[in-house]
Amino acid sequence: MSLYIEKLSVLYKENSHAIQALEEVNLELHSGKCLSIIGESGSGKTTLALACLGLLPKNASIEGEIRLNGRPVDYDDEKSLNDLRWAEISIVFQNGAANLNPVHRIIDQVAEPLIHRKGIGHEEAISSAAKILGEFGLGHNECNRFPQQLSGGQIQRALLAMALIMDPDVLILDEPTCGLDALTKSMVANIIRETKDKNKAVLLITHDLEFAERNSDVVAMLYLGQIMETLPSKDLFHSPMHPYTMAMVRAYPAMNTARDLGGIRGDAFYRTMHQHGHKKGAVYRHTHIQSPGYEHESGHAPSTGCIFQNRCTQAVDACRLEPVALEVIGGHEVRCVRHGIVDILSLKGVEKKYGDVVALNSTNFTIKAGEVFSLVGETGSGKTTLAMIAAGVLKPENGKRIFEGKDMDDWIRSDYESFSRKTGVVFQNPAEAISHRFTVFEAVAEPLRIHGLFNNNDELNTKVKEALGYVHLSTDTAFLGRYPHELNMGALQRVSIARALVLKPSLLIADEPTSSLDPSVQAKVIKLLLELQTELGLSMLFVTHDIGLARKISDRIGVMLSGRLVEVGPASLIIERPAHPYTRLLIDSVSGIPPDFPKSQLTLASNSGCPFTERCNRVKDVCKHKNPSLIGIEERLVACHYPLISKNVK
Amino acid sequence: MIDSINHCTPRWLGMAVAFGLAALIMIYLSYSLPRLLPGDFVISMYSSSQVTLTSEQETELRDYYMEDPGFFKYALRLAHLDWGYSYAFLMPVSALFFSALPWTLLLLGTAHILSMFIGFVSGVEVAWRRDSWLEKGMVSTMTILEGVPEISTGVVLLVLFALHLEWFPASGATTAYAELSFWTKLIDIGYHLALPLLTLILAYFPGNFLLARNSMVMVIKKPYIMTAKAKGLPDRRIRYAHAARNALLPLVTRFGLRLAFIITGALVVERIFSYPGLGTLLFNAIKARDLPLIQSVVLVSSLMVLAIILCLEIIYRIIDPRVVYEH
Repeated sequence: MSLYIEKLSVLYKENSHAIQALEEVNLELHSGKCLSIIGESGSGKTTLALACLGLLPKNASIEGEIRLNGRPVDYDDEKSLNDLRWAEISIVFQNGAANLNPVHRIIDQVAEPLIHRKGIGHEEAISSAAKILGEFGLGHNECNRFPQQLSGGQIQRALLAMALIMDPDVLILDEPTCGLDALTKSMVANIIRETKDKNKAVLLITHDLEFAERNSDVVAMLYLGQIMETLPSKDLFHSPMHPYTMAMVRAYPAMNTARDLGGIRGDAFYRTMHQHGHKKGAVYRHTHIQSPGYEHESGHAPSTGCIFQNRCTQAVDACRLEPVALEVIGGHEVRCVRHGIVDILSLKGVEKKYGDVVALNSTNFTIKAGEVFSLVGETGSGKTTLAMIAAGVLKPENGKRIFEGKDMDDWIRSDYESFSRKTGVVFQNPAEAISHRFTVFEAVAEPLRIHGLFNNNDELNTKVKEALGYVHLSTDTAFLGRYPHELNMGALQRVSIARALVLKPSLLIADEPTSSLDPSVQAKVIKLLLELQTELGLSMLFVTHDIGLARKISDRIGVMLSGRLVEVGPASLIIERPAHPYTRLLIDSVSGIPPDFPKSQLTLASNSGCPFTERCNRVKDVCKHKNPSLIGIEERLVACHYPLISKNVK
Repeated sequence: MIDSINHCTPRWLGMAVAFGLAALIMIYLSYSLPRLLPGDFVISMYSSSQVTLTSEQETELRDYYMEDPGFFKYALRLAHLDWGYSYAFLMPVSALFFSALPWTLLLLGTAHILSMFIGFVSGVEVAWRRDSWLEKGMVSTMTILEGVPEISTGVVLLVLFALHLEWFPASGATTAYAELSFWTKLIDIGYHLALPLLTLILAYFPGNFLLARNSMVMVIKKPYIMTAKAKGLPDRRIRYAHAARNALLPLVTRFGLRLAFIITGALVVERIFSYPGLGTLLFNAIKARDLPLIQSVVLVSSLMVLAIILCLEIIYRIIDPRVVYEH
């Protein structure tokens, strides 16, 4: 009992062009399992569901094969399709009540397949329908009502009862939780579990990532008709491997998401293909991405290569070259030229001393392309040192730095200019970071002048104005001629963000960019940074002492103490259930809870013992002698002998 | 506020008040409107005859025929179910009315029911075969036929089948003075009915067909049709129990509205084929300025329309459960 989909492509033909709804989709669904299909609207999810039931409209051309219980689905044989439908595979369509006929009673519609398919008598069919509706919590009264007399939740139950009436092997649920209250949602979850327990297969089509993670075994991410990633559902939130999956996760308001939601840059609705007559009479096929904003000429999809490249946070030239196939990486199937989300920056064993003061002990960390990584910690914990090492401004005594796959030290030594275009830095105090003698225009133009990245003054003007446009500042001549002391701190910090972005870097390093701003201005600047991060597809290293702020903006957080990273992991997990007592302390002190140890004293790193010993109320002997190393617990790394969460959980 | 009123008053009460009021207005109009006709019974009766009236005679006759009883007396008389006495036919109006009514009901009723049935079934079947040649051909033919008025179809049919080919009789509802057994009489009635009926069917059927097809085309796109297909139901079950059932409502509305034209619709066709129904009766009454007859025919036929609308209101609730609960 299973569903195999092999190289399924669906094109909807319309006059001279065709819409590509699915492209070579391969999926396997075994009995007792649940497979989720996730994707944006227009990604082909519903087409996939309809294809499984042979319900695609006449203008659809289908290639590839769907096998149900070992037998291929024959689209041309209406009779065999009818035998298949509802008996072996049934579906709950999206949009609830519209799927029920308004002029027939609920119970008649549920019993209908029994009467007209199996030839069961009317009385008997009605009583079995009443029984299954009863199991789904619809009593005698509700059963005898018409669809428009029931609530959304009751409709969903009726649809589920109807789908299961003939005991099918495969159940397709198309957006079963869309627009439903939490309780009905949990009922749907229950039904999925029961259906799986009966050794049936469930194909779940949803926008609801959290629901998919909890209720399915495998998740397939669909983008414009292509599967971008297939992954075990437990990895969905914390270790996706495709930038699309990561972006979808970031856009989803899960219960434990702390950071502000971010969309995916650009937009895509559906792909159309059509043919144009060429000058010499030749005809060539090409693909458009149709969306309201695009004109015919500007809306061309990448003609070769990855279809996600124009929205991706890590697209490189190689992505444009040829179509990408799915490959198996670490239990996931990923369609990416760069073999999944890459590390834009990775630091290995970097150390820094100022004289005999150790500012940074040997530290490893990585920033993934497209993510916001926050470094938090108290003053003097080495955050800024680490950030400046990452930016290439400071040179570590030891260790290796790799930026975009190249050795960073070599790169800086041989061609500092090209490296420095790759990173932009926003400093803590904008009033000090911008020369008092520069006007706004000159401040933003300076990086362009240094790198000689313009041909004439017009181009320089355009680029400066574009950068100021990113940060929502005025671009009129009067404003361009202002000096820093004429601007308020918020505007000044925007100017310095514009300056950092004018070279279009791939990594933005922001060192306490808002600590000198009052909360209302800070809120605006933070929103701006997040918006830019999404729209420009930047990766960001954000340094702050405020863990509350870090919570709102980061995908991952690194907590620093005395020149060491003591906890690194997904922001939501670290904030919700901190593992290191120091992280707990940081979280508590944001809300002003007094610490429960006698004195607060900052100790600089010593090589023996945990640096947090003196402020820790869980301290044991071993803490004083042995410095804990980072160990993995619950998808994070923590350096503590007695972490707050048990090592054995999960 | 409005809701609470609706909750405490039964809906039927509101409807009864509305229909009662409409009936009263109709009674008043049936009394006052025919009086506004130019000319009167005396003129129409004697202007074409050889008799020349003296002015005294004329005044006397006019006093006799044109006496205005006043609306109150008129209404009181109606309350006694007294319809009055026809000046021209010298018979009680009710007798005239009830001798003409069955013929009109037979002609119009059969025409409406048949054209609705044929239009509905063909509309459903054609809509199901969307984008076929059959559909395109039918839709354009019917659109043209819809534009042809019944007066011209009637005349064409009359000339072709009655006068030229002589297959059907040209006038009347039965063969006059014939002694026939029950069955032959029935055949005779059908024989006389054929041409006027065909005229009316040709007039009504294209509209029904187009409406049924359009409303079916809309219904076919509804998600519940997809659900029915997904359930693997037999084709005919989907077409009729799911799709056609929902496409029926506009057609019933049209049926009801068409019934309002039962008298005027009959008037033209009955005149062409000299069919002894209400239309012919009304035509003759107006020609003779026979005031009591005009008043009664107008009043009773408009009350019939009112009754039909009331029936439709009830039928709606049966075929579309949404009507009751949408508020």
